[in-house]
Amino acid sequence: MIHETLAATNAVVTLDVALPGIVWPWLVTVNMWAKSIGTGLIFMIFLLMKKNPNEMGSLRTPTIIVSFVMMNIFLLFTLADLHQPFRMWHIFFYSHWTSAITVGAWMATIFVGLEALMIAVVLFKKDTALFDKLLFWTTLLAIPVTLYTAALMAEATARELWQMPTESAQMILAATLSGSAAMILLGGSKLSDESKKFFGAILGLSALMAFIIYMSEYIFGAMKAEEVAAVLHYIKGDGEYATMFWIGQWVAYILPMTLVVLSRVSNSDSILSLAAILAIVGLWVVKHVWLIIPQLLPLS
Amino acid sequence: MQLGFLVDLHLCMGCKGCEIACKVENEVPLSTWRLRVKYVDVGSFPETKRTFTPLRCNHCENAPCERICPVSALHYLDNGIVNIDKERCIGCAGCIMACPYGAIYIDPETQTADKCTYCAHRIASSMMPACVVACPVEANIFGDLEDPTSNISQYIQRHTDVQVRKPEKGTNPHHYYVGASQAHLNPLASRREEGYNLFNKITTLPVGGHH
Repeated sequence: MIHETLAATNAVVTLDVALPGIVWPWLVTVNMWAKSIGTGLIFMIFLLMKKNPNEMGSLRTPTIIVSFVMMNIFLLFTLADLHQPFRMWHIFFYSHWTSAITVGAWMATIFVGLEALMIAVVLFKKDTALFDKLLFWTTLLAIPVTLYTAALMAEATARELWQMPTESAQMILAATLSGSAAMILLGGSKLSDESKKFFGAILGLSALMAFIIYMSEYIFGAMKAEEVAAVLHYIKGDGEYATMFWIGQWVAYILPMTLVVLSRVSNSDSILSLAAILAIVGLWVVKHVWLIIPQLLPLS
Repeated sequence: MQLGFLVDLHLCMGCKGCEIACKVENEVPLSTWRLRVKYVDVGSFPETKRTFTPLRCNHCENAPCERICPVSALHYLDNGIVNIDKERCIGCAGCIMACPYGAIYIDPETQTADKCTYCAHRIASSMMPACVVACPVEANIFGDLEDPTSNISQYIQRHTDVQVRKPEKGTNPHHYYVGASQAHLNPLASRREEGYNLFNKITTLPVGGHH
């Protein structure tokens, strides 16, 4: 309707103040990307414990340490994005529970605390049984920690593109994609061929499902809301982010999917590792494009 | 009491008196605005006209900014005003991402979120908001929406073309417009073309190290 109105009225903004521009910049992309790897690794080590517990031995320590580091990168970039970082403590002392930021901050803090405990247990007490018990609770908490960013995007009422159901799915898929990729790279020769194929399948299927969701939004999103249509213009045709969008889709999803299939056919670990590296790198690009494009639209 | 605003766009002549009064009253820093008047030119030469739309916080009944604020820096007052506590704000910019009206900004001096408060400090002293006082044609009408005898309630009763911005968002704004077209209220109903603006090179102050 707006398209026709615009053609009829030829309305042009002739005086307005500068638009605020990008409010959540690349720092927030790093935040989401690092969190996906951090929680994804926990999902994968839990799956390994259930599937092939005898392969857990030498993987407990590196997995939990890498996950812990990624979660701290996530927290660090969250802090760096604040305009008043020294007031971060307000979240814990003036908590407003309708905000996904508050709920996420509390859950992420508890999650990182549990991870620190697991590191202490595995490094100093060398108690693998206790580690595995804690892993269950950490995995359970990793689900809402992964999902809370989707809730935050859903609460961003101004950004029509971000809908809770699709963003929830994308957050979980980002975690399984990057988690399986990181596990393939971390596991290396310590993983059996069966486990490598298992994580390769998770990687390939996560890429496929995430790609399907993005393509569904790309093709059908504009049919539901004018705002979504206007946002999608930035990634269509000669849109400002069209090239970056497709680079992300190819590097994060299409190439890893293809390489996973090739690695199974040729039984090649190096092809699988390449798929894992591409998925991790590409995920940052995909997340960044999806974060930025709704912010380009004038709201008033 | 639920305070609300109504702008009669038939009366507004785009003098920007309200904008300046707001700037002065609230000491709004350079490059930021709590209230701004947008000009949109409609039609093709020689059949053209210029429209003026004062834009400010809508003080929504169901305010997304209040909901997303992690520290309750944005909060409701008993009179319905969505107020902000700048001492508590952590500058996460969640409110800016949530507000469908682009009414919130980061104050470059305090590095915290800021927006129109309907001059809550003046109202506490039984005064009208600065923009209402400054308007030479009384296009800004302010009052209690729950009082059927108030000027704003009477205005809403008398006019059939009372609208709010983006009603589909479910925010229930306490800010109304009379005589508005799509070009006034819908940002997608007008183009923003490089070279058309009366002031193209607006200087902005940095709002943070990375922005």
